[in-house]
This record gives sequence, structure tokens and C-alpha cells, in this order.
Amino acid sequence: MSNIAGKAYAMNLVTPLTELTADFNKVVFFGLEIPLFKDKLEGLLTLSMIHYARWSIVRPSEFPRVSAAQPAEELNYNYMFFFSNFNGSWAQYVDSFSAAIPDGLNSLWHNNIGWPKAVPQQPFHSYVNDNQLWTNHYYSAYPMAASNDVKAAKQVKDELREFIEDTLQDAPDQFSRKYHALLKRLQDSLSCMAETPIVSLAHQAVVEQCRVDEGIV
Amino acid sequence: MNDRAVDLHDVQGNIIKAYPRFGFPRARYLFFRINDAKAGRGFLAKLLPLITTSAPWLKEGNAADGSARPDVATNVAFTFEGLRRLGVPQASLQSFPEAFASGMKARRAILGDDGPSAPDKWDAVWQDPDPVHLFVAICGGTFEQIQRCHDRILALRGASADAIQLLDGHRGPDGQKLPYQDASAIFINDEVTPREHFGYADGISNPFFKGSLADSSNVVGGGKRRGAGGWEPLETGEFLLGYADEAFEYPAAPVPNLLGDNGTYLVYRKLHENVGSFESYLNEASAAYPGGREMLAAKLAGRWRNGAPLVRYPTEASANQFGEEWARAKKQIAESRGVERERAKRHFSKLNESMVDFDYTEDPAGGRCPIGAHARRVNPRSALEYGEQGAFARPDALSNRRRILRRGMPYGDSRDRTDDQGEHGVIFMALGADIARQFEFVQQQWINYGNDFRRANDKDPLLGNHEQDTGRFLIESDPHAAHPPHFCSKIRRFVETRGGDYFFVPSLTALHMIADGIVDPT
Amino acid sequence: MSNHSDRAYGLMVLCPLRSETGQDQSPEAFLRDFLNDLPQHELSPMAAVPNTYLCRFFVLNDVVYQGKPAALDHLKSKYLAFVAEIHAPEESDVDEYLRLMWKLAGGGGFVPKAWQYCLGFESVTNADQFVEYMRRCQIQTTLYFNGSTDEPLAEQLKALYLKQEFTRFAYEHQGLPPAALQDAFRAFAARVRPSAATPTWRPGASSLATAVIE
Repeated sequence: MSNIAGKAYAMNLVTPLTELTADFNKVVFFGLEIPLFKDKLEGLLTLSMIHYARWSIVRPSEFPRVSAAQPAEELNYNYMFFFSNFNGSWAQYVDSFSAAIPDGLNSLWHNNIGWPKAVPQQPFHSYVNDNQLWTNHYYSAYPMAASNDVKAAKQVKDELREFIEDTLQDAPDQFSRKYHALLKRLQDSLSCMAETPIVSLAHQAVVEQCRVDEGIV
Repeated sequence: MNDRAVDLHDVQGNIIKAYPRFGFPRARYLFFRINDAKAGRGFLAKLLPLITTSAPWLKEGNAADGSARPDVATNVAFTFEGLRRLGVPQASLQSFPEAFASGMKARRAILGDDGPSAPDKWDAVWQDPDPVHLFVAICGGTFEQIQRCHDRILALRGASADAIQLLDGHRGPDGQKLPYQDASAIFINDEVTPREHFGYADGISNPFFKGSLADSSNVVGGGKRRGAGGWEPLETGEFLLGYADEAFEYPAAPVPNLLGDNGTYLVYRKLHENVGSFESYLNEASAAYPGGREMLAAKLAGRWRNGAPLVRYPTEASANQFGEEWARAKKQIAESRGVERERAKRHFSKLNESMVDFDYTEDPAGGRCPIGAHARRVNPRSALEYGEQGAFARPDALSNRRRILRRGMPYGDSRDRTDDQGEHGVIFMALGADIARQFEFVQQQWINYGNDFRRANDKDPLLGNHEQDTGRFLIESDPHAAHPPHFCSKIRRFVETRGGDYFFVPSLTALHMIADGIVDPT
Repeated sequence: MSNHSDRAYGLMVLCPLRSETGQDQSPEAFLRDFLNDLPQHELSPMAAVPNTYLCRFFVLNDVVYQGKPAALDHLKSKYLAFVAEIHAPEESDVDEYLRLMWKLAGGGGFVPKAWQYCLGFESVTNADQFVEYMRRCQIQTTLYFNGSTDEPLAEQLKALYLKQEFTRFAYEHQGLPPAALQDAFRAFAARVRPSAATPTWRPGASSLATAVIE
């Protein structure tokens, strides 16, 4: 049972909102996807801790119903599902958002029932804690890579391929010059990866217990 | 925000004052285990009159109101187990934060205290399964003065010497076990220096917060960025409980209020420095580094040995010139009088300011100060906004709540520059309102890891817990320079943990309550 | 409203659970146990499903009561939630993803085991029926934020492998004269084969010792 897969953390939040708020917020979200307003998400990009994150606002009637035998959901509220795959500890994530982009958060969770606003931090922590759902199985294709690592890796891959093409016929001196220019271009992407630091002692205890149970010591 | 004045008489002195700057360059640290609660409270009551507060010291001060500078400064702090032993009620105990309640040894996985830094290598006093309860710090000008206070404190135990057990097991200069830990500024030619054993001027950047004593020029570089440029003090609540903090609330604090108000947390860590390894590393690595030995040392730290920051003084010549001017200015103050002296003081002050008045937004690519350099890691200032102006509520939003007050001092002797085994290092002390959010975070995310700096798993070259000699450090190339980046490998662990714990530094009011046994959480 | 952010796709599925199992444990308890016990990382059943960047399974028991004056809501069914970030440029790629999930997850056979407590799943006996069932249970994404890349997973993994190997090369070959450098680089390129599918990092690689697939 774990929210953690190596360097990634899975957060699931489900929060209620009235139908009116849901409709309004959907328009705001739609606006965020238009290039004109895409810079509103710039804070998120600069924080750089997220692999992928998404919001789904669901009406009671949109809860899946596979047969007539299954009772239809009857709810007072619409619900917003938030799923994030981020790097760092829970506290670091929540604190960073609260400190760096509180206005953005307030837009995204505008008028959700009980939303305390992103600042001050303690009520915001409580709100997230109270509404967080625990993940039972979390898989990351690259537990040893943070989102920054995946992005840096793409730089390296693209540049390396181009460099090889470009230097096929070069004499050593020319090659060496271009190689050093390549290193310079890539200097922000040349760090080695390894396993994640331990961000949660509770999680670490679970990991160690699993190792014992599976006979790996 | 409306600022409530800090009641300096209620706040212990070591929080507001960096004692070495007040003529106390030496210290002795005593640790006790309390074996009887009543005796413990009695002892604490007797200690109270000796405790130094943050009340300002005046030239013509008097002892009665704390405004006369004493011979020694004495302060106390407790571990969680210490508070429990003294009879603080269960509900109050449970209201203390998890990190403090667990103690530093239990947090070693988060801190990276593994291998050579693991508890089985710690001084005996910290390895002991029975916890430390009480920390008494004595800071003074000479060890004679300190010894007198030491003797006086032990004598206060009266018949209860067993009940208030002075703990043995600090490794001393000759490897012997001592019942105390001594620390001292490093003296060169009988003059106090701010150096630590690797040779760097230490403790330059200390946060400036509302209500802290220092004159307002310390806000430069010590506080947070002001929108229009310049600096302003950080909120008191980042460093003292019971005051508004940077998140526009009071920091989480124990109940009842009076137990926490005007108090803070203290992290004590004995950090051994492998001087020999560091010197030989500089020798080996600088052979291949075009900038030379001193520049390499500067690139690792983010500052030249004399403290000049790389961002402002990118060349060895400019740093040396700074050093010379600084020494000249200091001499000028000593040798002049009246108006000339005032002018000399202003000039000196400006030089000191230049050591802290900078930001990494001047050097986004790290061509001057490497992105992974020590100083840039532990206090990134506005660097984490990565030049995307306006992306965050304020450019230093990700740094402001990760600051610590540093109150430590070096210990031991390192005149033999080839030696790793000897007793020498830094007694590191960090104070702040939240151990996990401030100290532990910096240790775990910024010193032993690199993701926030987009440096994957790279560690702080000086302080990181490198495995064997597999550490790596990148010295970025300046965008306008022709040379490529420089790769430093085979970095070994230069600093090793030799013990420590987490403490709570109560206010004078709270100390009285604890001593009287009247803490009531309801 | 978009499930897409460029070529990355946010797939969210809520599958209602049966109300009983005929045993002395509820479907959600069985399911939770089953999910909790799954092996992690490269041994996860989802490691075998191509183009799975990250995914999670959890049991949605109920919504959370916010306290008065909020109204008290309850879900009438429990749900198996499957939330996956995948590489799928088109909707048709999503169908293909689900087909492969049926066929390959956990070596095949994982899906029926995990979904056995879901209502109506008795009638799912092949990949196409699985796709249909999942689409019926799909929840649309309102806003999808991609803070990473949208490349195929194989490209992401190859890139991570190259970053690791090239970083080591740069550190280990500093200061070489041009001819020696060029030779060393050619040998390096021949070993890591930047444009070939392998060598690369295996999906879910959790330790450096076992990360590389040749």
C-alpha cells in the first residue's frame, strides 16, 4: 500500500463543489488550455516537481453505471478529482504550492466546499490531508527519475543523436571543439541519477518490511 | 503585517545573539540525564537566575535588568525525553512535532547519517540508548571564566548529583572521554577568526528577522527580497514560536501557548571534518582544473576562503583585493578617531554588506557560482524561480521558509593539515520554529540530493554524504566564456556526523512553568 | 475539455464493485488486499504494458464529508479506480493500449484477477470487450497538465539511459587529447547505440544494478 514509487508520489484528492461552481470552474479550466492563458500555468512549470497532473470535475450522473442493477449515484454535489504525480515529499509539495503559487491553487480549487485557501499553510495542510485518498498500487516506469531528469534526458538524447550525425566526418580537432560545445550546451542535464532519498520514514519502514517478507535482506 | 515587539527579556539569549560576535568566542556544552523529576525541576529552578536573555547589552548597563554584558552567557534546552522526564503533561508532549519527539537519531535515514556518519560511529554520549535530557551551554571569553560557571552549575545540584547526571562520553582532543564538549573560534596569531577547519570564513549569512537585535544593516542579504529591490526582514514566526510567520499564521506550537511562545527548536550536531582528505582532494583535483587551487575551493563552497561571494567576486584577483581592503578597513577603525573613525566604520560596513548583498538572479547559468555549490544550495535566495519573473508569488518563495539561525562554533585543532583522525570539526547548531521544514528539509533535499537544482542525485560537495569516493560536482561554464564545464569526480565524504540531538529552547516564562511543575495543557 | 496534453493522455476509469462476494469479506476489502500485495516497480504487472508512464490503482470507498454546513453525501457503489498517464497521441491509441493491457499486464491474467470484483465484468472475456467495458467506465479529464515530456515511453527510457551513460562518459574522459577523445567517444556510441531501441532502461527500473536491458 503506497503512495510512493521511487522518486514519484501519487496524490489523490476528491473534493465536493456545487453544480454552479462546477460549471464556472470548467470554464476557467478550459481557459487555462488556451495559449493566451497558458502562462497562468507557468508557475507550475517553474516548480518543475510534477510529472503529470490532472483535474476531472464529475457530475453525479457521470459516475459510471454499467447496468440497470447498479443503483444510480444520488449526490448533493459534483466532485472534483485531482491526481498528481510529483517529486519530493508530501510536505514539500504542499508547502511549495502554498508558498509559490497560492493564487493559482485558489483558482483551481475555487469555491470547493470547505476550501480554506492556500495560505495560511496549516489549514491548507489539513484540507489536503482530510480529502486525500490513499493509493493501493502505484507504478512508475522510472522510479529513479524525477520529472527534471526525464526532461534533461530528452535534451541529452536529442543533442547526442544530432552530435553524432554532425561529427561523422570530422577530424579530431574539429570533433573535440564540437564535443566541448556540446558539453556546454548540456551542462544543466549532466547529473547522474540514483534511487530516491528517503522522504518518509513510515514508507521506508514498509519498504524494509516487504524486503524482509520477500526474503531479500 | 502589524509587528508585535519581541519581549527580549523572555527569549533566551542564544536565539537572538550570535555570542562570538559579542566577545564570547569559546564555549562549553554540558549534557545531563535527569533521573528524578522532582530533583530535575529543583535544579532547573536554581539555574533560572543564571540564564542569559536576549535583552540588549549596553555600555553602561546593569546586571539587574540584564543590560550589563555578563562574563559568560548561559542557556538551556531540552530534548523531548527531557521534557517528559521533567513531568510535562502527556497532552502537551503530544502537541510537540514529530521530528522533535522522535529525536535526531531516529531521523537518521532522513538526514543521511549513514556509513561513517551512522550512530555506531558517534561519540559515546550520543550512542547511548538512554537519551540525553538537558543541554546547558556556557559561552565565554576565556576557558577560566567558563570553568568557573561550569563548577558553579554542577554545585547547584547539591545532594542530587546522581539525580542530575552529567553525561560522560564526548571524545576529547586526545581521544579520551570527557564529560563536556568544548568549542572555540579558530584563532590565528591570537586573533579571533570566523574560519572553520577547511579554511573557509563561516557563518556569514544569518537570517535577519523582525525583532532580532542586530542593527538594520544586517537586513541586507539576511532577509527576504523586497519587490522593488533591496531586502526586508523575515517574519519573526520563522524563528520564534508565538509570532506571525511567512505563511501568515502562527507556527504550529505546543499547548498551552505559554509553553511555546518565545521559544524555538535547536538542532545540535557534532560534525567531524576530514581535513586531510579535503586538503589532498584540493591538491589532486586542482591539478586538472584550469582555475587553480583557490578557485576550486571557492567553486565548491560558493565563496572564497575569505568569504567573498563568487557572484560578486568571480576572480581570485578581485577576491584578494576585497580581502586586502577589508583588512585595511578594519585596521583603519582601530587606528582612527572621531569623524574619521565613523567614516572608516561606514566603509567597513559597506564591505561587509557586499558579502551578502547579492542574488543568484545575477548568475542564472552558474558561471560564477556553481548551481551545486554549498552556499547556493543551503540558501538559494531567488535562484529557484529560475529567472521566470513573476512565476511565483515572490521570487524567493521557495527559500524563505527554509532558513536557519546558525549558532555553532568550531571545535578542536587542525594545524596538522594531513590529519583526518584528529578531533576537529564544527559543533553545528541550527535554530528555527520547525525542525522538519527548515533544517531537515535543507539537509535532505538540498545537501544530500539535487533535484530542486535540476542536478538529479548530485550532493553538496562539502557536506554531502558521498559514498566512498563517488561524489561528483559540476563547475558550470559561463555562457560567454569559451571553456567547457569542468567535471570534478571522486569526491569523498569530507564531513561526518559524530552525534547530536534535537532540543527545545523554552522562553524564560516556560522555564519557570516547567520548573514549578505547573504546565497545564487544558 | 481534454484528456490530452500533446501526445500524453490522462486515462481515468472508475469501475463499480459488486456489493458482495459470498464470503466473509467485502469485494473492496479483497480488492484492496490484492492491490496492496502486488509487487513493485519492474515487477509490477503494469511494467509489461507499453507506454505506461505512471499509473495507480485505488479503491474509492466514498466521498468525504466536509462537516456542517456541507451536505452529507454517500456513494451508492464502491469503485476500482484506475488512473494512468500514458503515451497515446489519438483516441484509437487508447483502445490499443487497453488491448495490450488485457494481453500483457502481469504476463496476461492480471486484469481478470484485478477486475473480478467489478460489476458486469463477468461478460468481459476478451480484449475488445475489455476496451468496451473500460470506455464505458471512463471519466473525462477536465484539465491535463504535462510537466514532463510527451514522447513514447521507449524514448523516455532510452533518454534516461543515455543521460546516465553520457554523464559518466563526460566525467571519465575529461582532458583527453582530441584523437583519444574521438576514439573513446566512438567506442561509447557503439556501446550505447543512441538511435537503437537497446540498450536502454527497463520499465520500472528501481536500482542501478539491474536497470539496463541490453
